[in-house]
Amino acid sequence: MDEVPIISIVDDDASVRTATARLLRSLGFSAHAFASAQEYLSWSRLRETSCLIADVEMPGMTGVELQEYLITNGHRTPMIFITAFPEDRIRERAMKAGAIAFLSKPFDEPQLLECVERALQRNQDRPNNP
Amino acid sequence: MSAVPGRLENEEFILSSLAPSTTQKRLALAVVLILLLGFFITAGPLSSVQLAPVGAFVPAYAAAMLVNDSITAVLLFAQFSILRSRALLAISSGYLFTALIMIPWMLTFPGVFAPRGMLGAGLQTTAWLYIVWHAGFPTFVITYATLKDRNPARRVSESSVRAVIVFSIAVTASFVCAATFLVIASDPLLPHLMLDTVHLSSLWPYAAGFASLLSLSALVLLWVRRRSVLDLWLIVVMCAFVIEMVLISFPVPARYTVGWYAGRVFGFLSGCLVLFVLLHEITTLYVRLLRAMLAQRRERQARLMTADAVSASIGHEIKQPLSAMIANAAAGVRLLDRGTPDLEEAKLAFREIVADGLRTGEVIDGIRAMFKKNARTRTSLNIHELLRETLALLAGELQAKRISVRVQTDEVLPEVKADRVQLQQVFVNLFTNAIDSMSSNDGPRVLGVTSEVHSSGGVIVSVTDTGTGVDPKQLDRIFNPLFTTKSHGMGMGFSICRSIIEAHDGQLWAVANGSSGATFQFLLPAHPADHPMKTSERLNDHPRVCPQVLGQQ
Repeated sequence: MDEVPIISIVDDDASVRTATARLLRSLGFSAHAFASAQEYLSWSRLRETSCLIADVEMPGMTGVELQEYLITNGHRTPMIFITAFPEDRIRERAMKAGAIAFLSKPFDEPQLLECVERALQRNQDRPNNP
Repeated sequence: MSAVPGRLENEEFILSSLAPSTTQKRLALAVVLILLLGFFITAGPLSSVQLAPVGAFVPAYAAAMLVNDSITAVLLFAQFSILRSRALLAISSGYLFTALIMIPWMLTFPGVFAPRGMLGAGLQTTAWLYIVWHAGFPTFVITYATLKDRNPARRVSESSVRAVIVFSIAVTASFVCAATFLVIASDPLLPHLMLDTVHLSSLWPYAAGFASLLSLSALVLLWVRRRSVLDLWLIVVMCAFVIEMVLISFPVPARYTVGWYAGRVFGFLSGCLVLFVLLHEITTLYVRLLRAMLAQRRERQARLMTADAVSASIGHEIKQPLSAMIANAAAGVRLLDRGTPDLEEAKLAFREIVADGLRTGEVIDGIRAMFKKNARTRTSLNIHELLRETLALLAGELQAKRISVRVQTDEVLPEVKADRVQLQQVFVNLFTNAIDSMSSNDGPRVLGVTSEVHSSGGVIVSVTDTGTGVDPKQLDRIFNPLFTTKSHGMGMGFSICRSIIEAHDGQLWAVANGSSGATFQFLLPAHPADHPMKTSERLNDHPRVCPQVLGQQ
């Protein structure tokens, strides 16, 4: 894999999404930030995302709903959830549906990096990897 | 735990003070009607039919009555120990009396254990014991009915309940022994109620009539003063007493007639019924009490959850800028660490850190604004009552952690205008913190709560613990929303408390007691209507109490 992996961030909190995107870029990834699930879904390069980081609580479509939508539409992008309101019930639901990780805010760089690397590994192992 | 209210605030769960329901009244009426129906069937010609003496009947009947009435007595004594009313003591002793008198009555009954009865009984002994029994019990009932509406303040003191019960049992037992002895000793002198071991004399109706009159008086008195479930069923018992005596005496007074047997059976059935009703009522009340307790616990949890939800939502608001700050800081380090540092991007990251830091500060200011919004839910309330109520809510936890509570209050405390739920949250937070800080303490665990009138006319409340205490250097920091020394929790407690108190125009501060625990104090202004203050004397014009100065005391 010669290309730089694309990581997408969906979070309605502007500071969080720009800071996370900046951190990922400083780590050498190509990061794209979106303010809502709808904005992400209408992105033309949706299928190029190697790892999706999504907030759980968002107005409109929540992170978990986004995950369900992607699965039913055949997108198998590995997902990392981030939340400031960790709830076991939602964590369980997300993990059962195949999420890579469910991180509580605030999280630190090593935590995020470890999850991103696992997600990229999973993305590479996928059978229909383009 | 000396101070937590242990006394029953209301007596709605106590049988002897509970009003009977319509169903119970109907049931009681039905029982009386059935008794009367049985009476009319067995009375008349059928009543005088002489049956064979059944040897086992008397001991079986007496044993059953003894057990039944003893259990009833125990249940009533238990009610007395809670309510401590003299009326209940009288009726409990009455049941004990009927239980105990069954013993000499059975032992002296001719032909049961000995042809002429045991204990050196004469021909008249058993009949006279029967009269003592049937005149004695209505006397106890009359005493009960006379005493029951007396001023509740004249109750037996809590400390002497046990002694009073033991004394009553001793007096009742002595009375039964004395009556037995007298009846046996004066057998030749007493008017003859028996002609032989089967037939009653012409004097019998007078003796039985006297006992019946007492029962009737008790019945009338109970009817006039009827109020509780217990009154209702004692009325039924008194009806059964009268019916029983009439059946034995009329038309032919003799033992072993159909009327004699039927009278016993009626008496026994009504006695059982009272016990069944008592047991049923107690079980029902227990269930109700349990439900009420569970409801109270749920309410408490709901309240604590509100505090939880408040801190969770504030936590959420703070965690967002915090995550951004951490990510930006990490990115900044990475950007500067490169072979050719990306200074422009790093500067952006640091500027955003500053902005998010300021945003966190705004969140905390927002907490105050949030508590100010609820000004219209404020009512005039007595702080002392609220803190006692809160202590009662935490009673289980305090007991489990072996913490004793000392409450002190000024006799006259001005009312304050406050949001009840919010103020209770302050108490819950302060108490829970005190409990937590003492739970690892090996020394004495004392939670002290005082509420006094402050010189400004307001109310000053102090919550003192003997826990780990607060480091004097950290006295100010503990009110910082993210400060916590606990391994769990977000440390929002004190910040919320201070916000609530300040939103009520009061002040909250901490005092370090060195190594011997911590004291939290808050001052609330008195309700203007309760304690008129001139404008110039408003609390805000007083010099603010300085936490640092207090901390050095």
